[in-house]
Amino acid sequence: MSRRKSDEEKDEIGSEKFIVPELTEKALLATGIRVGTIVKTKDMESFIGRTRPDGLHIIDLEKIISRVDIVGGFIARSDIKRTVVCSAREYGKTPVEMFCSLTGAIPMVGRFMPGTFTNPLFLKHIDPELVIITDPVMDAQAIDEASKAGVPVIAICDTDNVTSNVDFIIPGNNRGRRALAAIFWLLTRSVLVHLGALSPNQQLKNSIEDFETKVLEEGVK
Amino acid sequence: MSEKASLPTCSSCNRPIMPSEKAVKFECVKCGQVLIWRCEMCRTFSRKYKCANCGLIGP
Repeated sequence: MSRRKSDEEKDEIGSEKFIVPELTEKALLATGIRVGTIVKTKDMESFIGRTRPDGLHIIDLEKIISRVDIVGGFIARSDIKRTVVCSAREYGKTPVEMFCSLTGAIPMVGRFMPGTFTNPLFLKHIDPELVIITDPVMDAQAIDEASKAGVPVIAICDTDNVTSNVDFIIPGNNRGRRALAAIFWLLTRSVLVHLGALSPNQQLKNSIEDFETKVLEEGVK
Repeated sequence: MSEKASLPTCSSCNRPIMPSEKAVKFECVKCGQVLIWRCEMCRTFSRKYKCANCGLIGP
């Protein structure tokens, strides 16, 4: 019984094993990357590793890392200048901008203007090859337009997301500020490694903290 | 005169995809060697597909 409890505690904290040269499992788990919600959808059931006593579903870390690596290779194979990364979430703004500045993708943060993918007369019309979504609920308009345009959609999905019109899922916590930064940092690293701009043993010059959206404290100017 | 048109089939349900459908095609996310087609209904209901080459199950 006590051994089982200590194993669970160890699993919660993580080990000192290196996932990538500059990041240990413990540091990655500290970002809350695998912490889901109390709601579990059927689409996301296969990605959930266990459920905590307080009801929160925990996503399998191995699946997160393997899927991020797969998507990194896919983005590297496709035309990255025609890859659009959307985030209507405030916490996804800096991670998306950092990802796009390092890889060359097109960032689309804040409100998604309807017609961006479907109306050729719209001045800011984009003809994307691949769309990456931060949250299927918040970026529903982007998913809808990508499905009409016949563009593949990759989405970061939490345990409570419905994956309708999503072609490939990256499971992970898409609500946390640090979790989103960690996912996009891992994705950036994977894309650069697959592009050949970074060797697998080389460290990325930007840290996860650089990908985080900064929270301004009240009263501080 | 006319030739028989061959329609692509959905990787999930194996049904032919009509040209008017809002389907999607992409190379396998993992291996990039197999072209995966997903019909409108399979995308909507998030039905699983499998790569014939590498065995990747999506979405």
